[in-house]
Amino acid sequence: MALVAAAAGWLLRLRAAGAEGHWRRLRGAGLARGFLHPAATVEDAAQRRQVAHFTFQPDPEPREYGQTQKMNLFQSVSSALDNSLAKDPTAVIFGEDVAFGGVFRCTVGLRDKYGKDRVFNTPLCEQGIVGFGIGIAVTGATAIAEIQFADYIFPAFDQIVNEAAKYRYRSGDLFNCGSLTIRSPWGCVGHGALYHSQSPEAFFAHCPGIKVVIPRSPFQAKGLLLSCIEDKNPCIFFEPKILYRAAAEEVPVEPYNIPLSQAEVIQEGSDVTLVAWGTQVHVIREVASMAKEKLEVSCEVIDLRTIIPWDVDTICKSVIKTGRLLISHEAPLTGGFASEISSTVQALAPSPRLECSGAISAHCNLCLPGSSDSPASASQVAVITGTCRHTQLIFCISSRDRVSPCWSGWSRTPDLK
Amino acid sequence: MKNMLAAFISRVLRRVAQKSARRVLVASRNSSNDATFEIKKCDLYLLEEGPPVTTVLTRAEGLKYYRMMLTVRRMELKADQLYKQKFIRGFCHLCDGQEACCVGLEAGINPSDHVITSYRAHGVCYTRGLSVRSILAELTGRRGGCAKGKGGSMHMYTKNFYGGNGIVGAQGPLGAGIALACKYKGNDEICLTLYGDGAANQGQIAEAFNMAALWKLPCVFICENNLYGMGTSTERAAAIPDYYKRGNFIPGLKVDGMDVLCVRDATKFAADYCRSGKGPILMELQTYRYHGHSMSDPGVSYRTREEIQEVRSKRDPIMILQDRMVNSKLATVEELKEIGAEVRKEIDDAAQFATTDPEPHLEELGHHIYSSDSSFEVRGANPWIKFKSVS
Repeated sequence: MALVAAAAGWLLRLRAAGAEGHWRRLRGAGLARGFLHPAATVEDAAQRRQVAHFTFQPDPEPREYGQTQKMNLFQSVSSALDNSLAKDPTAVIFGEDVAFGGVFRCTVGLRDKYGKDRVFNTPLCEQGIVGFGIGIAVTGATAIAEIQFADYIFPAFDQIVNEAAKYRYRSGDLFNCGSLTIRSPWGCVGHGALYHSQSPEAFFAHCPGIKVVIPRSPFQAKGLLLSCIEDKNPCIFFEPKILYRAAAEEVPVEPYNIPLSQAEVIQEGSDVTLVAWGTQVHVIREVASMAKEKLEVSCEVIDLRTIIPWDVDTICKSVIKTGRLLISHEAPLTGGFASEISSTVQALAPSPRLECSGAISAHCNLCLPGSSDSPASASQVAVITGTCRHTQLIFCISSRDRVSPCWSGWSRTPDLK
Repeated sequence: MKNMLAAFISRVLRRVAQKSARRVLVASRNSSNDATFEIKKCDLYLLEEGPPVTTVLTRAEGLKYYRMMLTVRRMELKADQLYKQKFIRGFCHLCDGQEACCVGLEAGINPSDHVITSYRAHGVCYTRGLSVRSILAELTGRRGGCAKGKGGSMHMYTKNFYGGNGIVGAQGPLGAGIALACKYKGNDEICLTLYGDGAANQGQIAEAFNMAALWKLPCVFICENNLYGMGTSTERAAAIPDYYKRGNFIPGLKVDGMDVLCVRDATKFAADYCRSGKGPILMELQTYRYHGHSMSDPGVSYRTREEIQEVRSKRDPIMILQDRMVNSKLATVEELKEIGAEVRKEIDDAAQFATTDPEPHLEELGHHIYSSDSSFEVRGANPWIKFKSVS
């Protein structure tokens, strides 16, 4: 066994020696060069700047919903809104700058098509926008509110948590604001810094009564958004802003629904379960293929899709099968939603294969400056890490009890609690 | 001889006639060192009297304001250039066109007074005392920046200047709090709390108004109304676009924000009002921005190029001051051109510094998260990256 380990280590060192000395920007390069680069020291690994990298992986063309059209994320959102306004005469869309089409073009053409009474701008007042939306929803009309960036949702936090979430409960089901949907651009975009990059899903996860949904792609977005709008509970729909243009795939023109609170197993595997949502799903998919190719580790990739109420069964079933879990998200680590998932899985998934003390790793990304040729503000909130890091993690998780890390840089196994 | 005398007298009379023709711009010329100008009367709300309608500008003051406004203008244009060259990334909100506001406000208060503003802050940063160098280096994210390269465009600070705030309207209650501290300490200082026409519709501004009025805080609320909240014009955002009246129970002034003297005198008036313990006051500065909302906004989809051109040619703040000074002989065109050359050099030097200074050390990434006696570790983007947090 030790011989195998030594051989593996030698092979990896050999390969790595030929790899690039420094990380380079990898637009669409697929598998990373410099993989398993034996950083001279851990400090060196920390010094090197990491560049936001992901490759959008489109799903195969859906055949069961009729004619499709190539759409990017903002077009698929627009299509969903168009379908909603057509189907439901009480549906209205409002928010800052939505009338001309929105800062991300999600509402282009809707005002012309449905009139200024149904698609209208609000002044700059998030608390007012959401409170007003709750009021519309309470009367039974369908309210689709837009908060221009998820970073600005906090003035509305009180309305969402104290009013929207509790309306049905506190009135004994006499009233509800279930026909409220709040849409908001979410997540890091590379140059957003403190106030255009945040992923606040964890704050809302702490509140029963609302649903929080995050799609990974245009096809998912349209189906999930339509489900949110039709759902009889107030929903928050976070749209990964970096995917608005970057993600394009075939999306059905007619309306269709993707069920909420159902995670999707995108790729089956047997050695480790990878869970992510939003843009990070694409990073994780690339990591899974790298792990397969370089480490012969078979990863099961799951897109959580709905943050609350989340699909406990699918995740637990998968972890029972593989015995290992890695969750990856953009939001800060402490109190991030990964902590909820990992603690639930530990409690609910008893299995002799599950290494309770170390197999579950909640992993997420903190701020990193941009690459050396583009000095972004160092106060970015979240950046998507290079896929190399995730694969190293998987190696460590997968190999924890079998092979010790084989290069001196990693002098201790990661602290997986 | 008599003919020569007659010719001489007629020449003098002609010059006198020419002078009275220019009375629109120059009321009278007292000496070579200062001049009196007429300034636009401010509309008043809940006030019996307002700022004066004439003001004296000394040569020294005039040159100072000219230099400051020109520096702000050139600095913003340089920032535009650096942004297009990708030295500055992220978000950048420029205030060219609004120079009279920041320079006029500074002229009306003391350096010991306090100022807080929104994200369109570069001009106020300069007038509050930051050097162009440190501002541009902060925009490019370098060590020499005023916030050590970690703040960027919206987070620049200096003594008695509390930024630079990205969230719209968030600075309202903060300004009221600073004013409370001034009142509490009894040091006769005031706080200028600036916000825009977009922010005027935020709930927290109304909350700040109420607190300031209730406790008679020495807070001057200043609405920089540049007619567009990002892409939304004031008529489409506000039920009453008279922002100086929106203080409800707080007296207000509507000020011509393109005239630095008007802003200065209105600010002096407002500052005196607050210092006398009467409570808060609201000033609406009617101004205009030439650039779009930010560098990613061309600024022409919600307004016409003709409108921008018209303001540039008729109401440009630097041009207004320049004409006044030249016509009243407070300065010559050559002198002002010389100032222009000096300013250009200062900006170029600063830009050179801003593009060549190194970026902050990666180790500093985790600093100043908490204040703590001993340093602690902050996890980076994955478990193996650790930053030491020192504060």
